Amino acid sequence: MSETKVSRRTFLRYLLGTGALAAAGGVGVGLTQGAQAALARTDKPKARYALIIDTTKCVGCGACVRACNIRNHLPEGKSYVHIVQKGDAKHPWFMPVQCQHCADAPCARVCPTRATYHHESGVVLINEKLCVGCKYCEVACPYQARTFDEERGVVDKCWLCLDWVSEGKEPACVQSCVLGARIFGRLDDPTSEVAQLVASGKAKPLHPEFGTHPAVLHYIIEG
Amino acid sequence: MGQTAWGWLIAIYLFLGGLGAGSFLMAAFFELSGWRYRSKFCPVALVGATVSGPLVALGSLLLIFDLGAGRMQPWRILYMFTHFSSVMTWGIYILSIFIPLALVYGFLELMESEPWLKGFVAARLPWLLRNGRTYRRWVAAVGSVFAVATAVYTGVLISDVGPAIPLWSQPVLPFVRIPMLPILFFISAISTGMGLTFDISATIADPEIQRRFRIMDLSHILLIGLENIAIGLLFISALSSGGSAAESARIVLYGPLAVVFWVGVVLVGLAFPFVVHAYAIGRGQHSLASGVGSGVGIVIAGLLLRYMIVYAGIPAAL
Ligand code: SF4
Ligand code: SF4
Repeated sequence: MSETKVSRRTFLRYLLGTGALAAAGGVGVGLTQGAQAALARTDKPKARYALIIDTTKCVGCGACVRACNIRNHLPEGKSYVHIVQKGDAKHPWFMPVQCQHCADAPCARVCPTRATYHHESGVVLINEKLCVGCKYCEVACPYQARTFDEERGVVDKCWLCLDWVSEGKEPACVQSCVLGARIFGRLDDPTSEVAQLVASGKAKPLHPEFGTHPAVLHYIIEG
Repeated sequence: MGQTAWGWLIAIYLFLGGLGAGSFLMAAFFELSGWRYRSKFCPVALVGATVSGPLVALGSLLLIFDLGAGRMQPWRILYMFTHFSSVMTWGIYILSIFIPLALVYGFLELMESEPWLKGFVAARLPWLLRNGRTYRRWVAAVGSVFAVATAVYTGVLISDVGPAIPLWSQPVLPFVRIPMLPILFFISAISTGMGLTFDISATIADPEIQRRFRIMDLSHILLIGLENIAIGLLFISALSSGGSAAESARIVLYGPLAVVFWVGVVLVGLAFPFVVHAYAIGRGQHSLASGVGSGVGIVIAGLLLRYMIVYAGIPAAL
């Protein structure tokens, strides 16, 4: 008789312990979510530029990919721009994707070292001196825009050719597109073609449901 | 298959983090409940305390080994302490508190059972030996908090990639926005810790122990049930949300990862231990083989679970 009592008490205590553990786990997860939401709310610079991709003009020729690879000395099989084929076999259409320079960039949020950051122009950059090559950003980018540079052990991606752009030139991909599927300009100038396309809603962010608020890239997609 | 940035090194890291944390929690539970003192020698506390630190440290080494520039220039790892919106930064803090605590805990246990060490401590640090239980209690209590954090963190780390990998960020239920993976990994951490410290180590050290702690059979049944529910919900929610999440579920349920899942995780890690422990509840005891066998099954399945989740992480379609 006494034995069952003891074991019952032990069992209750044990249940309590399990409950406490579960509660601790739950509180841990909850805290993470809450703290993260709070931490993520910092002011992001407004995008100065816009790069609009007009999928109605793109034929998927890959000139932009090649121009980018040459500009950035990327080895075979690696590129910052990838061309996603959409539609069906009969009516394919093409959608070049590269870093969208998100205002709420998950890559920057998850980067443990602050290597990924927002430039004052709104362009998302990587400080290669800080990057440890953990690839967390690569996993967390919903646009699959990041690649890992095995040689230097850091992650890299489209940087909008910021050196050329700040001299008033266009990024390599834009220069290379002879079909006019890439329109580049200043978003902070309301009279520019890109600003008007964005303002009129004709050019829209890609996959807004990801919630990352792409700031630089916008897409013109018919239908 | 899935994403390619993270591979088996990360899977093992997630597994070892859970296993080490779970082992610590087992030892701490025996310490704080007083069960450790029911017999002169408590293999659960000894093994749990001594292996947890090294296991998690080994996992962290694998993580460092998976780094690019951080492996070639290790001082860069210090930068990883600097960004508080990153779960990885949190993890680095948690690990750098948990590992030393667990190593200390291991020492405090070893000094009781290792005659050579006991003599050494008695000669040099007599106060430590005199108040051993008090110190152990404190380390166990504080360490438990960080052990829970370690186990949960391994799940939060990969679920925090959000929309990029829909499988990893599946919510518990459509209207509960907490991700499922931290919970699943936490349950698995406790299971594997129990499997390692109790089923395997304690059974080998003292087969009689099964009779004294029959509650462990019940706990295993409970945890297996919970893990079943968690895995079930994860894949139901993945399938019903369509897109890449459903694709992930498909490669696990009847694609390239099906063998890992059905044989490795379900059969070896859930069904077999369930039968063993349910049978033991009826019979009052295990055989040595069934106790150790179920423990080995649970631990292996814990590793395969992490492996499967990492490799089934398919990026969202563009
Ligand atoms: S597209 Fe990817 S890499 Fe570029 S800012 Fe957004 S999340 Fe970061
Ligand atoms: S790989 Fe580099 S840029 Fe990416 S999250 Fe890690 S430290 Fe940051």
